[in-house]
Amino acid sequence: MEIFSGLLQGFAVALTPVNIMWCFIGCFLGTIVGILPGLGPPATIAMLLPLTFQMNPTSAVIMLAGIYYGAKYGGSTTSILLNVPGESASVVTCLDGYQMARNGRGGAALGIAAIASFIAGTFGVIMLMLVAPPLAKFALAFSSPEYFALMCMGLAMVVLLAGKSMVKALLAMLVGLWIAGMGTDLFTAESRFTFGQAELLDGIDFVVVAIGVFALGEVLGNMETREGVAMLPVPKGLRNLLPNVEELKACRFAFLNGSVVGFIIGILPGAGSTVASFISYGIEKAVSKHPEKFGTGVPEGVAAPEGANNAETGGAMVPMLTLGIPGSGTTAILLAAFILWGLKPGPLMIQDNPELFWGLVASMYIGNVILLILNIPLIPLFAQILKLSQYVLYPIIFGISVVGVYSVSDSLFDLSLLTFFGLLGYCMRKLDYPQAPLILGLVLGDAMERALRQSLMMSQGDLSILVSRPLSAGMLVLTALVLAVPMFRKANAWRMKAID
Amino acid sequence: MVKRILIAGSVAALVAANAGEVAAQGFKPTRPIEFLVHTGPGGGNDLLARAISNIVEKEKLLPVRMQVTNKTGGGGITAMSYLSEKKGETHTIALFANTWVNGPLMSKEAKVTLKDLTPIVRLVTEPGVIVVKADSPYKSLKDFIDDAKKQPGQLKQSGGSIGSRDNIVRQLLMKNTGTQWAYISFPGGGERRAALLGGHVQIMVMDPQEAGEHLRNGSLRILAQIAEKRMASLPDVPTVPEAGFNIPNYLVIRGVVGPPDMPAEAVKFWEAFFAKVAKTAAWKKYLADNLFEDGFQTTAELVKFVDVFTEQARTVLKDAGVKIYR
Repeated sequence: MEIFSGLLQGFAVALTPVNIMWCFIGCFLGTIVGILPGLGPPATIAMLLPLTFQMNPTSAVIMLAGIYYGAKYGGSTTSILLNVPGESASVVTCLDGYQMARNGRGGAALGIAAIASFIAGTFGVIMLMLVAPPLAKFALAFSSPEYFALMCMGLAMVVLLAGKSMVKALLAMLVGLWIAGMGTDLFTAESRFTFGQAELLDGIDFVVVAIGVFALGEVLGNMETREGVAMLPVPKGLRNLLPNVEELKACRFAFLNGSVVGFIIGILPGAGSTVASFISYGIEKAVSKHPEKFGTGVPEGVAAPEGANNAETGGAMVPMLTLGIPGSGTTAILLAAFILWGLKPGPLMIQDNPELFWGLVASMYIGNVILLILNIPLIPLFAQILKLSQYVLYPIIFGISVVGVYSVSDSLFDLSLLTFFGLLGYCMRKLDYPQAPLILGLVLGDAMERALRQSLMMSQGDLSILVSRPLSAGMLVLTALVLAVPMFRKANAWRMKAID
Repeated sequence: MVKRILIAGSVAALVAANAGEVAAQGFKPTRPIEFLVHTGPGGGNDLLARAISNIVEKEKLLPVRMQVTNKTGGGGITAMSYLSEKKGETHTIALFANTWVNGPLMSKEAKVTLKDLTPIVRLVTEPGVIVVKADSPYKSLKDFIDDAKKQPGQLKQSGGSIGSRDNIVRQLLMKNTGTQWAYISFPGGGERRAALLGGHVQIMVMDPQEAGEHLRNGSLRILAQIAEKRMASLPDVPTVPEAGFNIPNYLVIRGVVGPPDMPAEAVKFWEAFFAKVAKTAAWKKYLADNLFEDGFQTTAELVKFVDVFTEQARTVLKDAGVKIYR
């Protein structure tokens, strides 16, 4: 009942014309920010902060949150059409989204991404509203050993991301882990693998590697096939552009999977939406009847990660709003914004400012609808990009990649890194190494190492801390199961042969 | 990127329209001021820089606009080397923080120290608080230290990197009392607090503002405050020496620094300018809102202070087993 009246109050706040306008502005800006590679929600929100000082805090948070979840919608666009991840979280969407576009289903992929985002985004808001306080306690029960187990689970997904050769996938993952280890060590302040370069003190930005390996590698590879065949087929007519019934049916489980996984991982401070999208993609593949088709353009390979990265938004708001603990870069800046507006983020914020909390929740329902309406009609427009000949398209991808990377750090050094990783991506394509495991290792390596060392510092070097806690032990068992899946499959195939 | 330029442009137009005059003293800024910070948007120094440029704009203290530039990386080292390349420049100034002192000590890659640049003024000192969970058995700092004595190495503290105040205060306390407890680094403030609230560590050093809300709702308890004298907002909490542990007060500082070889008249101008900023009511309100303290020091005072402060950090970090490069 309390929730019901709260929500009514929230809609009363969020449905005022002014707040609908701010919600729309936020969603619109977010979509654009999502489409531009490199420029992400944290930087955008920080830059817009000074403009919100004069605003009512509720309107301001409605707009800034719109940028946050709006960017998640927009991020898939360039992943699908150009193989350029628009946000770090949409890197997984490249795997099947871009292949769908190459198979002439680019419009459908965009549609599925929008629908998955809508379903999971709405799910995230509902959960945020219903179970925020108890879930925040669950997040606190998570300590370093649990994070380590979670990261192990994520890393085990490599066996599901591997193409033909497991050895090549593992090698690519090791390179990713190595890159993740570069930079200043948090625990000892020593620099590792910086080769005396001050620019490497913070390690290598994930965006640089992802754009280099995926986008530039793809362009370089395709330039060799000079016949102009790379022009992507575009179906005519709106009906053929949107996802069809079979494709939507294939995604049924993915919508649910993405929503739940994204939300749960979102609650945990320090895990993040990229991890969420990798794990939900892995789960989708593990339970699929045709796992071998993943990576060739299956719709559920788009729906799961896109759903996960949108549900993550609702999850990340849980510790932020209920405990005042930011779980991601974006929520950290939102928290800083609360302080600037004179609000006091912390365990009492919801109680003290019910109109802000419920107004925000209600605005997120509205925002998700706005984004769906905003995104679906844009599909035919975006799909036009695919009609461009490669002589036009490739320089565009090149330009977007360079500008995107430069906008993150304003650093020329990062552009030379981008070139290096473009060449690496090209070589990997030529030698048939999968790129996703490299990205996976890079995303997880840092957090995993940190969690392991924190755990061991807590236990004074005793490894049993990793298995003596029920949550972490449970996740490690799951990890072992995931690792066993391909072995089972092999054994099964072998048995089948033997029976024949 | 496009948006960034657009926003910068509109802010610029706004500021230019409002800008008033400032008393001329030999040097006078004629171009927009580049106000450099080492944190990304939303970080500590970034927020401070934006607050300053807001005050300057509202009070019309400068005829040109102040443009905040973020040069992130290496905990300040990127920003420092960028500033050091602007030799003799008068229109670029930066905000420094503790990491500008400690970072170069611990990093082989650093090429300049704060002394190689031109320190101008110190603006802020930030007190800290030592906190435990509200249901913790420790009612005083002495309770915690006594327990740490009983079980050396078993208790834990969550904190930031090894060069942060959290660890330096721990080192000073351990040395003073001959105790040992573990220090577990977390990259984000949120994770540090989650580790404390989740009961995974026993103690933590925080900004008073960070602790404020948890105190109000009763989830945390303050054992002692790290400050020269008790903060107005915490009249009943003892400082660390008052709690019985006579360790030097390690400050968190923020101030303004210019590039190497900044002409003397420009240094004078900026010193006078920030002295004026520090006297405004808006600045005093900003300090009070953030539970900062007015730590204003003139150029001459700051230059002396930097030497003492660097030496203090060097000794403590060396004791902590950190590799010191200079």
